[in-house]
Amino acid sequence: MASLLSRAADAGGALLGRLQSVRLPGVGTASVKDDPATAARRWRAVTVLCDPDRLADPPAPLAALGGRIETRVTRAPGDKGTELAARYRGSASDAEIGELRAALREAKQLVEVGEVLRVEPQPHGPRAETPAGKALDGAAAAAPKEGVL
Amino acid sequence: MKALTWTGVNQLAVADVPEPQILNDHDVILRIRRTTTCGSDLHLLSGYIPFMRAGDVIGHEFMGEIVEAGKAVENRRVGDRVVVASFVSCGGCWYCRNELYSLCDNGNPNPGITEGLWGQSVGGCLGYSHAVGGFAGSHAEYMRVPFADVGTFVVPDGVSDTRALFASDAASTAFTGVDLSGVQAGDTVAVWGAGAVGQMAARISAIVGAEQVFVIDRLPERLEQARTHAGAETIDYTRTDVAAELKERTGGRGPDVCIEAVGMEAHSPGPQGVYDQVKQQLRLQTDRPTAVREAVLACRKGGSVFVLGVFAAMVDKFPLGAVMNKGLTLRGAQVHGPRYIPRLLEWMERGELVTEHLATHVLPLEEGPRGYELFKEKKDGCVRAVFTPHGT
Ligand SMILES: NC(=O)c1ccc[n+]([C@@H]2O[C@H](COP(=O)([O-])OP(=O)(O)OC[C@H]3O[C@@H](n4cnc5c(N)ncnc54)[C@H](O)[C@@H]3O)[C@@H](O)[C@H]2O)c1
Ligand SMILES: [Zn+2]
Ligand SMILES: [Zn+2]
Repeated sequence: MASLLSRAADAGGALLGRLQSVRLPGVGTASVKDDPATAARRWRAVTVLCDPDRLADPPAPLAALGGRIETRVTRAPGDKGTELAARYRGSASDAEIGELRAALREAKQLVEVGEVLRVEPQPHGPRAETPAGKALDGAAAAAPKEGVL
Repeated sequence: MKALTWTGVNQLAVADVPEPQILNDHDVILRIRRTTTCGSDLHLLSGYIPFMRAGDVIGHEFMGEIVEAGKAVENRRVGDRVVVASFVSCGGCWYCRNELYSLCDNGNPNPGITEGLWGQSVGGCLGYSHAVGGFAGSHAEYMRVPFADVGTFVVPDGVSDTRALFASDAASTAFTGVDLSGVQAGDTVAVWGAGAVGQMAARISAIVGAEQVFVIDRLPERLEQARTHAGAETIDYTRTDVAAELKERTGGRGPDVCIEAVGMEAHSPGPQGVYDQVKQQLRLQTDRPTAVREAVLACRKGGSVFVLGVFAAMVDKFPLGAVMNKGLTLRGAQVHGPRYIPRLLEWMERGELVTEHLATHVLPLEEGPRGYELFKEKKDGCVRAVFTPHGT
């Protein structure tokens, strides 16, 4: 009974995912409907609360990606700051796109607050090596590179 | 040091863990004086927010004394007695500058998880799962608090630790709902849920000028507190039809503002409750929206419904037609602590806002698991369990 219920639950979850285009954590893609080539070519952008001049030179995390990416800097409407967008010049792997997401987020933080927020190392109790725990550690470690950015 | 850790669904344990350290220049380390259970923790404990790792230190509503400050902290110093906002807000992004602190762009180091779920990530929350940052929480002897200039507030001398504690999350959440739902002088406000959040929403509605305030719950001791401390009229939803009762008591209009402070594990006595539970267990819906539905149907035409209870993802059978045709404003938010905590502390200092009665069970940290048991099962009249990691 329990396993029947849990199988039904999995089926329900999968169905919900399909029906409502829910993107599950760790499966971060910018778009649900784009084909992968189109998705990889999209500009990924953050809006940074600063003047465009401040971004005239790409912040360090983006500069580190060098000539592989092109960037675009535009004043945001309504005094919302400056749009900082970037994409790879050629095709890009999922891992490279992940790096770009993380670089954009870090660039924004450095300009807005001067440092990148850290969480580790920090206090925690014993962590057993379970499959679920491993999966979550993986999801958390990947999270700066994931998402719909 | 000692800390209360999550070890699995519905399991907590006090463990020996390393002490926290300064990781960023804007951090402080706090010696915790008071830290409390919150209704939001119950959703974590029971596994409805599946981003907990065994060993995580929980707790996000707390106050204490600063014992160490990072080199970029400007306005706080060692020795300050402070109450802390539960969300992590950077102070420098567009959302923070517009006082939408829980929407901070830079407060959640794991943005990928909630972006996938909601299309955008929100700010981080202390001690509240890896989906919102994976920060160690406050049920511990010491704790690291990021962006201390933004999220910590010095408690005025005349305000007790226990009173100030609830400015951290419960009262500031309530104020967020009262303010952003647009409660005005003369309004009739109905609040679903008589936990600390609901009671504070009722009291703050009265402070900002609501003329008539209702609180809806089933637990007699909580309804009694709502009458005594918030001056509210109360309704036991297990004994009457809430919408009919509200209609009768508001001249047929319905409340101007309905505030939901129940959340995704709402209890419901009838067949609808069974339906929702089954669907939630089959994961065809993730959340049970009983009180939100009731609020939408009870609200007056053109009124405002505010969702303060925590919801994670999907609900079913939502009366969208009523929202549209009755011209309702439907909003929700996580708490914008720094926007409201200073005013709460002023009210607390003047005695207009009292919160001590919420601390029904004050316990040493070692009794954390029992405190959560009392709080979860609403046993022994428990409204909030408050832990004192260093004694009184
Ligand atoms: N938005 C935020 O930032 C924020 C912050 C803190 C808490 N919360 C949420 O607010 C909610 C309340 O928190 P709390 O600490 O007061 O929790 P609590 O568990 O102490 O209180 C919830 C109350 O709701 C009552 N209730 C259950 N089903 C009901 C129904 N159908 N109708 C009316 N009342 C019902 C319960 O009897 C209980 O008294 C939780 O969902 C919590 O997650 C949100
Ligand atoms: Zn809370
Ligand atoms: Zn911010």
